[in-house]
Amino acid sequence: MFELDYKEKTKRYSGGIKSFLSDWMILILFIALVTICMLTMSKFRDPKNLFNIIRQASFIAIISMGEFFVILTGNMDMSISSIIGMVSIFFAGLVVTMGLPVWLAVLIVILMSIIVGIINGVLTVIGKMPSFIATLVVMNIIRGFNFIYSGGLPISGLPEGFNFLGAGYVGVVPFPMILMFIIAIILYVFTTQTSLGRSFYAVGGNYEASKLSGINVQFVGILAFVICAVLTSIGALGLTSKTLAGNIALGDELLFDVMTIVVLGGTSLMGGRGRIFGVVIGALFLQVISNVMVLMSIATPWQWVVKGIILVTVVLIDSNTKRD
Amino acid sequence: MNTSAEVIKQTSNAIPLIEVKNCTMEFPGVKALDNVNFTLMPGECHALVGENGAGKSTLSKCITGEYRMTQGELYIEGKRIRNSNYTIRESQSLGISIVHQEFQLMNEMTGLENVFLGRYETKSGFIDWKALQKKIEELKDFLEVDVNFNIPVKYLRTAEKQIVQLARALVNDSKVIIFDELTAVLQEKDIQNIFRIINVLKKRGIGIIYISHRLDEVFECCDSYTVLCDGKHINSGKVADIDKPQLIRMIIGRELTQAYPQINNKIGDTLLEIRDFTAPKAFRDVNLCLREGEVIGIAGLVGAGKTELVQAIFGNHELIKGKILLRGKEVKIKNPRHAIKLGIGFVPDERRMLGLNMLFDIKDNTTLPTMAMFRKYKIFQDKKAEAKAAYDINKKLNLNYYSLWQKVSKLSGGNQQKIVIAKWMLRNCDIFLMDEPTRGIDIGAKFEIYSLINELTKQGKGIIMVSPEMEELIGLCHRIYVMYEGVVMDVVEGERKTQEVIINSLLGVKENV
Repeated sequence: MFELDYKEKTKRYSGGIKSFLSDWMILILFIALVTICMLTMSKFRDPKNLFNIIRQASFIAIISMGEFFVILTGNMDMSISSIIGMVSIFFAGLVVTMGLPVWLAVLIVILMSIIVGIINGVLTVIGKMPSFIATLVVMNIIRGFNFIYSGGLPISGLPEGFNFLGAGYVGVVPFPMILMFIIAIILYVFTTQTSLGRSFYAVGGNYEASKLSGINVQFVGILAFVICAVLTSIGALGLTSKTLAGNIALGDELLFDVMTIVVLGGTSLMGGRGRIFGVVIGALFLQVISNVMVLMSIATPWQWVVKGIILVTVVLIDSNTKRD
Repeated sequence: MNTSAEVIKQTSNAIPLIEVKNCTMEFPGVKALDNVNFTLMPGECHALVGENGAGKSTLSKCITGEYRMTQGELYIEGKRIRNSNYTIRESQSLGISIVHQEFQLMNEMTGLENVFLGRYETKSGFIDWKALQKKIEELKDFLEVDVNFNIPVKYLRTAEKQIVQLARALVNDSKVIIFDELTAVLQEKDIQNIFRIINVLKKRGIGIIYISHRLDEVFECCDSYTVLCDGKHINSGKVADIDKPQLIRMIIGRELTQAYPQINNKIGDTLLEIRDFTAPKAFRDVNLCLREGEVIGIAGLVGAGKTELVQAIFGNHELIKGKILLRGKEVKIKNPRHAIKLGIGFVPDERRMLGLNMLFDIKDNTTLPTMAMFRKYKIFQDKKAEAKAAYDINKKLNLNYYSLWQKVSKLSGGNQQKIVIAKWMLRNCDIFLMDEPTRGIDIGAKFEIYSLINELTKQGKGIIMVSPEMEELIGLCHRIYVMYEGVVMDVVEGERKTQEVIINSLLGVKENV
């Protein structure tokens, strides 16, 4: 009797087909999209093109996974675009102008982004500023420093070997793809299998209740911004390595894509809900669409329009689905 | 009362305001209502009673159009309502209003604006404030209330906010008003005022559906009753034909022999001592002490500083002065996390806002403070052990659920409260701070919480309990600290534990001894 009751109540129950569909909507759409493109476009199904999509999606996916943590805790980080610029330009400056070894420069820029993350977090969590405003301010300040440091000009001449990060292959597999999956798996385990990871969901779902349950809500809140900044700087290094030049404008158009990806991946803008692999699929989804538009030679401004419509649609669905 | 009886007599041939026939409401996995019938006549106050999860709110939501019944028929003033597209908007236009205990008011706007929101009268395109002001005065005369409608509602007392909500319903020309556990958060005096208003409304021929957990109220102001139990219709009839024990038996399906368990008399060492606790605008110079196996009560009106006091003990309210001695050793509690580490658990008054994470399931809510204890290889969560622990503790608390992976948002109030208590029992706390642990839950669940508190004291735990219900405090506590405007007026124990003594101190009257 006891055994029976125990089994019954600890059995994972699914919310039925409807909740399955709404949970994995993005995956289903993604498979449908890829299938259609594979069947109709010969240029698309070229393996070279497919690998290219994944490689291009990789670093944006890594940055989006960072933003995911901030949104999961119910905040928003607008400063990622200038963090990307900062990492890119200072890294190039440290290596090319000052002649530091690459590993040391990497360490320094990651440290810088950690500091930015802490500032974002402290302003939002302890200073109780709306995160949108706090990070917008930080974004502009960093952008200012980027300009002051570089005068607005790119710094080129990074060592050839650094190119491996963004364009290298392990066998036939692009290195960025491997990096993305390793990070995704680590973060998946972190968010689902550790108590600290679960705390992000708790804090985003109900800040006060989490606080009263003894979760270190301030630490978790700040940590989300730090994780975001660190993953953003890894992504920025990858993007920089493709051109081997530091560029302050590198991240200017990425903020929009990153937001789209995180929401596409099923993360609730209210916080408390979302999955790491949803974000990865969201990144691939958006990249496939971009790729298709390029193959169909649609002009860049029209690509913005299409991406804008996608974001509006997804946010509309997110805001109007009844959540219990 | 006489006049309302007359109204009923006059209208006994009248068409019922609301008639629900064979209503069934199904949610995934649960049958919330099973073949329920309900009739409301004009000028009648109809009590809808039953335990938590019995289906009272579900039924009222079917009537207001928030839910659409799976099966069954709804007639409003004899007219069949088409179920398929019945909405809240339609029910409002048919004259059905609901007044909740939780407010749906714009806090920054005045009472006047709240009442007429969306229905402003205009004169050549501008809002005609004078006309609105006149209307409000008429309403105030009609309800015989003296509430300031010209200040932002956030400055109003709970009872006054409810009057504003009622006024809003009346402006809406309501024929049916549902009172959804309105009195659960009110003090005695304000409850009497609500009763008076109900009588005024009845004379107007307005039908009232009265949902409450306080059965005395049913006998005081209702004409008829309908009892629900587990979504089934148990009985309906005239209140005059039954007495309280009969009603209780119908509600819980058993005899309630002794409402309060025997107070534990095995008292141990001093657990917690508080000295000179002072926080600006909340309370000052509060001293209290709690021993193992004791329940101490904190009584006081709204604004007496009860909630702030327990929050401060839990490290969630700033102090300017005061000492805490835990087992004789002085500690400085910095924040809730610290308090929990010291073995203190807190059951907050607003369980939906502060006690639970509505996005989480039962298991995750139960283990929220203890997550870090269930580890594999030092870092990974041991989910099996977590589920086992959550299962065991919830079994002990007799929680009614079908899966640990069920979201807590759809559980009844009593079951939700059990989870909030369960998480601290799992944490094995020594001291439980409970802020209104039985707020808005039914008798059956209350009784279970009482025996649970008793069980905890037998294990040598100490409990500090805040409650607006004097009866509850008298029945459960060893000692009652009565607060008035932030000061402990009196500590009541032994033979002095009577309602009269407590009421005097509640109102700030010093005894002339």
